[in-house]
Amino acid sequence: MIAPGWAIEGVGLTRRFGGFAALDGVSIAVPPGEIRGLIGPNGAGKSTLMDVLSGRAQSWSGTVRLGGVDISRLTAVERRRAGLARSFQRTNIFPDLGIGEQIRLAAATAERDNSEEVMAELGLAALADRRAADVSYGDQRRLDLALALVGRPRVLLLDEPAAGLSMSESLTLAGILRDLAGRWGVTVLLVEHDMDVIFSICSRVTVLHLGKILADGTPDEIRRVPEVVTAYLGSTVE
Amino acid sequence: MLINILNGLVYGGLLYILAVGLVLIFGLRRVVNFAHGSLFMVGGYVAFAVAAYGGFWLALVVSVAVLAVLGVVLDRLVFRPLQHEDPIATVLVTFGLLLVLEDVVKTIWGKDFLSMPTPTALAGTVTIAGEIFPVYRLMVILVAVLVAAGLTLWLRASRIGLYVRASSVDPVTTGMQGVDTDRVSAVVVAIGAGLAGLSGTIAAPLMALSPSMGSFILIDSFIVVVVGGLGSFSGAFLAALLIGQVHNFGVVYIPWASSMIPFLLMVGVLIWRPTGFAGGRA
Amino acid sequence: MTSASVPAAAAARRPAGRGYGFVAGLVAVAAIGSALPLLVGSALFLTLMTQAAINAILATGVGFLVRQNGSVSFGHAAFFGIAAYVVALTLKHAVMPAELAAIIAILLPTVLAFALGLVIVRIVGVAFSMLTLAVAQALYELLLKWRELANGDDGMAIAFPARVFGVDMATFQQPHSMFLICWLILMAVILGLWLLARSRFGTLTLAIRENEERARFIGYTTVVPRALIYAVSAAVAALGGLLFVLYNGFVSPGTLHWSLSGEALIMAIIGGPRLVWGPALGAVIFFFIKNAAGDFTDHWPAVIGTVLILVTVLMPRGVGGMLVRLAGRVGGRRSS
Ligand SMILES: Nc1ncnc2c1ncn2[C@@H]1O[C@H](COP(=O)(O)OP(=O)(O)OP(=O)(O)O)[C@@H](O)[C@H]1O
Ligand SMILES: [Mg+2]
Repeated sequence: MIAPGWAIEGVGLTRRFGGFAALDGVSIAVPPGEIRGLIGPNGAGKSTLMDVLSGRAQSWSGTVRLGGVDISRLTAVERRRAGLARSFQRTNIFPDLGIGEQIRLAAATAERDNSEEVMAELGLAALADRRAADVSYGDQRRLDLALALVGRPRVLLLDEPAAGLSMSESLTLAGILRDLAGRWGVTVLLVEHDMDVIFSICSRVTVLHLGKILADGTPDEIRRVPEVVTAYLGSTVE
Repeated sequence: MLINILNGLVYGGLLYILAVGLVLIFGLRRVVNFAHGSLFMVGGYVAFAVAAYGGFWLALVVSVAVLAVLGVVLDRLVFRPLQHEDPIATVLVTFGLLLVLEDVVKTIWGKDFLSMPTPTALAGTVTIAGEIFPVYRLMVILVAVLVAAGLTLWLRASRIGLYVRASSVDPVTTGMQGVDTDRVSAVVVAIGAGLAGLSGTIAAPLMALSPSMGSFILIDSFIVVVVGGLGSFSGAFLAALLIGQVHNFGVVYIPWASSMIPFLLMVGVLIWRPTGFAGGRA
Repeated sequence: MTSASVPAAAAARRPAGRGYGFVAGLVAVAAIGSALPLLVGSALFLTLMTQAAINAILATGVGFLVRQNGSVSFGHAAFFGIAAYVVALTLKHAVMPAELAAIIAILLPTVLAFALGLVIVRIVGVAFSMLTLAVAQALYELLLKWRELANGDDGMAIAFPARVFGVDMATFQQPHSMFLICWLILMAVILGLWLLARSRFGTLTLAIRENEERARFIGYTTVVPRALIYAVSAAVAALGGLLFVLYNGFVSPGTLHWSLSGEALIMAIIGGPRLVWGPALGAVIFFFIKNAAGDFTDHWPAVIGTVLILVTVLMPRGVGGMLVRLAGRVGGRRSS
């Protein structure tokens, strides 16, 4: 089903704000089924990379391919319908809609409605009839994730899904994520500040620093790169 | 032809003075004052009343001052209490205010058209390129130019001006810089309302006064603000020039359809650029 | 939309019981209203009520736009007025039968609104309100100044055939029968919009209202749905205009004036636009305030302006929203 080669691929991605390059010729490629970690200090360009891949960024250059197909010119809507879904660093949900209601709405653009399954897996089933604005922050984070996950996209871009969650909540979430990605064969690009989460579920990690790729490798390799340790692991871990 | 262009500048000038007040208030408060046309109208009537006793120039000063005070009251009683509500709430409240103000003016001065004489010092005409043009109208153009220049200086040089400019581009970050927003807002709304009074006063000798005179110019100034790009000062200036010309052109050559031209222009601009002239910047 | 797995989608968005309750309530209100001509003999009263019902339809259209798109229109009288003028002009020039004219009177404003909507729904918030006002006023002035087209300010009397849609014209022009027709149509409109609001499309437009960006990132384009809602609300306004012209047999530019748009909006705000039936309730309240104002009718604009200010500040969800909250408290149920 998935085209051979890369599930998601960005080539020479550049995005500038005025004279400043938030993303400076970044190339990244993730093979099908992999959970790839994306780390880097605050302002490294991680969210900007997500924006470019998902079609949220306004002006940028480079090429984005999904399953080998060039989707650079597609809008965010078209990319989602092609199987590229994302969640957001700042919770981005529909506050006045019911939780089940909005998950089913998100599922309706996909070929298959697996909203009940997603709700069950993410522990949202009991909250299905509640207004999104009325539930806890942790539940809202999982709702944001559910909106991306529902409909079984081929590729998931997750921007700090565990931001603001407690340590045990983060690890639970990581477990669910690994489990679902494995079972459904979803490729994941995961931005996360929590190294425990990253190292527990990612088979490879890419390090971004000042808009450029600093390193790329297995968690063990990454832990040993000196620049990574000074630029990131040693200093700005939050 | 030249006369038509000049007349277009006159109307464009009036529009600019009115619209720039909307832009100022929008830039700071992110709300649109639907009663702005009524302030224009009240300014005209206040000037009319004062001019009967003290002449045009006193009327001009009093009208601007009264409206500036009205602006402070408006800011205190409407904009400030509603600043954390949906901007639509302010729209609705100022719309209610529009209805009340029109009614008050109608009660005081009646429904009939009133006319205000042109000040004697400016009553003459000049001949421009072989055609006669009233001096008073030239003065209106001049006032608009002075307002534009004055505002530009103020926005670039004064502390409040800088703050307003920053805020109209990015209200969130500006809001965090520890400036006394309430004081700034009172000043800005006072200036906006005072300009509406100025516009109403200098318009009074040109058009018949009636309680509904604020509505149509409000709509044209809305078009100016939207076409210029909401919150943009230079955009509003360009758009006022353009709408003034287009309006006047329509009135002269196709009177029956004159109202459609600014509107069609606006739709055209919005198709081309949904955020108006200055939209690319925001 | 790829409408996937219909059964799952049909699993209603709200507990079904509420739905039956709504329909039962609506039927009861429809019945009570229908009994009014039997109970009240006064033709004057029924005339006013007929006008109120027609304005309620316009207000329902305005309110639906607020509900689904979060957009406040200051120009819906334009669609009301276009519908009235379509009937007037086509009958004057005898280009088509009255029945066809009536259908076009609804379709034309709907299509215009959709086309215009594709441009202006992309502009959100207060700018949208400013634009709708500008659009309606441009049309108003066109009809005012283009005297050859529609007689300008003097308006036009309409020569209807003796029967329209097989119904005696007198039925449309006498308050006893016309009130009944308008009232039932109002109820049908509310039912229709309520069903639409509950549909998948209704949920989608609410989602877009709530968070346009996220709607795109779950795979929905957002301009067309909003333009469709704008068109639906224009169609409802046009229906009001059609009833208006059938009843009055006369049309003038006043039917497009911003004061009518403003009145309809005020009705919607008073009643509570977040409820499909709120604006209609607001229209009835508006009508009673107007009656009660009696001596103050000279100062009607000031009265209604003050009411608008008070409702906006003190009761942002309108009278209807307050009623729902009270009912929720009494019945111990969750209000929404
Ligand atoms: N809209 C914007 N305008 C100007 N600069 C921006 C904009 N968005 C992001 N930037 C800048 O681009 C750089 C990269 O930002 P980005 O949000 O991608 O970082 P990040 O790696 O996601 O950081 P964090 O860990 O804090 O989420 C930052 O320096 C940021 O200030
Ligand atoms: Mg980020």
